[in-house]
Amino acid sequence: MERVFTSELKPLLDAIARSMDLYVPVKSGDHYVYTKYDRSDATEVQLNNIRACTPVKEFLFPLRELAAVFPEPGDPEDVKAFAVLGLKDCDVRSLEILDKVFLEPEFLDEFYQQRREKMFIISTDCADPAGSCCCTLFGGGPYSENGFDINISQIDSGFVIEAASDRAKEIIEKNKRLFSEVIQQVLDKRDAIRQQSRRQLEESNAEYELGAAVNEVIEKNQDSDVFDVESQSCVECQACTRVCPTCHCFYLYDAKQKDYFGKMKMWDSCMRVGYAAVAGGANPRKVLGERIKHRLLHKFSYFLDRYGVDMCVGCGRCIDADSHKMDIRKVLKKLSEEVKV
Amino acid sequence: MNQNIYQPINGEIVDIIEESPTIKSFVVVPDDSFRFETGQFVELTLPGEGEAPFTPSSSPSVTDKMEITIMKAGRVTALLHECGKGQKVGIRGPYGNGYPIDDFAGKEVYIVGGGVGLAPIRSLFLTLVERINDFKKVVCRFGARTPEDFIYKSTVFDSWQKIKGVEMKLTVDNADGDWSGNVGVVTTICKKEDVDVNKAVAVICGPPIMMKFATLRVLEFGFKPRDIYLSMEKNMSCGFGKCGHCMIGRYYCCKDGPVFTYEQIKDYPNIWD
Repeated sequence: MERVFTSELKPLLDAIARSMDLYVPVKSGDHYVYTKYDRSDATEVQLNNIRACTPVKEFLFPLRELAAVFPEPGDPEDVKAFAVLGLKDCDVRSLEILDKVFLEPEFLDEFYQQRREKMFIISTDCADPAGSCCCTLFGGGPYSENGFDINISQIDSGFVIEAASDRAKEIIEKNKRLFSEVIQQVLDKRDAIRQQSRRQLEESNAEYELGAAVNEVIEKNQDSDVFDVESQSCVECQACTRVCPTCHCFYLYDAKQKDYFGKMKMWDSCMRVGYAAVAGGANPRKVLGERIKHRLLHKFSYFLDRYGVDMCVGCGRCIDADSHKMDIRKVLKKLSEEVKV
Repeated sequence: MNQNIYQPINGEIVDIIEESPTIKSFVVVPDDSFRFETGQFVELTLPGEGEAPFTPSSSPSVTDKMEITIMKAGRVTALLHECGKGQKVGIRGPYGNGYPIDDFAGKEVYIVGGGVGLAPIRSLFLTLVERINDFKKVVCRFGARTPEDFIYKSTVFDSWQKIKGVEMKLTVDNADGDWSGNVGVVTTICKKEDVDVNKAVAVICGPPIMMKFATLRVLEFGFKPRDIYLSMEKNMSCGFGKCGHCMIGRYYCCKDGPVFTYEQIKDYPNIWD
C-alpha cells in the first residue's frame, strides 16, 4: 500500500481521466448519482458523504444487456478501462459478493468479468454517514481497507491517497509531482475522523443490534407473522431489489432485432408476484409475505450457506428507496424479539 | 476467451411426433455434439420468441439427436407447438443433476409417473433398460387423465410391457369404451406388496398434485425420504444458479436439481406449488 498526500483532488482526477473514462458522484436532490467526469470543468469535485443512490452493480451488470445473438454468435464487446470515484466500503463489499456469483469458475459470466477487470475503483471514506446507513450491523464500516485501487480520505487540509493496486501505484508514480508525504498528524486526523464516523454509525444503529446471528434470527422465526404484517404496508414497488447493490436476480428474454435474434438479460425482482411462477400455473410464492421472507432468507441464510457471506452490506439504500418505509433493520429486530432465537 | 454461458448452440427440429391432444415430441438435432445425463435438463430457445426448460425424453446414449416432449402450457410452448420440421432452435445446457443411476444398481426401481411427467421418466426408463440386469426390477406405475392423454402410446401400451425385468401397470382418471385397465388416480395402482422398500428407490415425476400424493403414498410404504427421487419443475431460467427464479429454499432447482431426494427439500414451504 502506497500512501501520499495532496491538497487538491482535481489534478489527480484529471490524470486518471486522461487514461480512462471516469465516473464521479454528483448531487441530485438529496442523493448522489454518477456522471461522467469532464476535465474541462474547472469546479472541484465534491466527494460524496454517503454512497450514491444507484448501486454500483450498474457498472458491471447493467439494467439490460444483450447476452447472446443468433444464429451467429456476436463479437464480444470491447470493454474499455473505466474508473468510478466515490465507492464506499459498502459498495466495495457489494462487489465481492457479486464476484462470488458471476465469477464462479464453473459458470463464469464473461460480461461481468470483462467489466470487473476493467473497472478502476476509487473508494472514499464516509465522513458523515446517513441515518439509513447500517454497515456496522452487517460487518462493514465507514472506510475500506482493501478491495479498491485507490482510497481517498478527506481531511481539512486535503486528501490522504492510498494506492493498493499496481495500476494505482503506476498512476501515483507518474504524477508524483502532485503529491507530498503523509505526515503523522495527518494520519492521526484521518483516523480520528474514521473513528468518529464509526461511533456515529454504531450510535444510530444501537437500537437495531440483534444480540444473535442474523441467519439464526430468520431461520428460527420462519413461522413468525412479521413477514405478513410487513407485507400489509408493502406496495410491491420492487425498489428495494433495484437499488440493492447485492441483489442480482435477472430475467432472460428473447427478442427479434432487424437482422438477428437476441437473448437479453435484464434485472428482475424476487418481489414480483409472477417471479417464480411456471407456465403450468404453479407459483410457490404467490403470497407477498412469503416473498419478503424468501428475500431475507436468501440474503442472510441461503447465500451465507453457499458462499460464506451475507448478501447484505448494510448500505441502507432499500431503507431510503422503499415507498412505504419498510426498514430491514426494524424487520430483523422484530424477528429477533420473537421467542425462538 | 471464455465461452459465453448465455449463448445456445444452434439446432434444428427434424421430426415432430403428436403424442396427445396437448403434447408433442420434437426431435432436435444440435449442430455441435451434445451430451447429457438422464434427468438433466436443457433450455430450448425459439429464436426471437423465448426460452423454456425441458428434460430430454430420449436416452443419453443417443448422441446425434435428442427428443424433447412438450406440453402446450404457456406462451413459449404454444409457439413451439406451431413449429414445423426444419425450425431452427437454440439449445443451452445440459444443466443440473440427473438421476444417480449407479446408486440404483442392485435395487428395485419403483417409478411413478403421470401426464407429461413421463417425459423425463422415458429417458430414465430407456437408460435403465439398456442395463436392465443391473437392477432387481423396474416397477412402473403410470397414469394419465384419459387413454388419449397417454404419451408414448406405442411403447407404453405395448413393447415396454414385454421387457423382462419390467413390471408395468397403467391407469387413467377417466376411461372410455376401449380401456380395460385400471381407472383412478395413479396412487390407486401403487401397492406396498409390489416393492421391497428396503431394497428399492422410488422415482416420481408428474403434475405437482400427483407428485405430492405419490410421495405421501410411497412414504406410507416405508420408503425413506432419502430414497425418493423427485424431478422438480420450477421456473428455471438461466440454468446455472444465478438468476434466482427457481429457488426451492436454499437450493437452485437448476443447479442443485432438478432431481432432488425428498429428504433434501421436504422441509421447505410450498414445494408442490
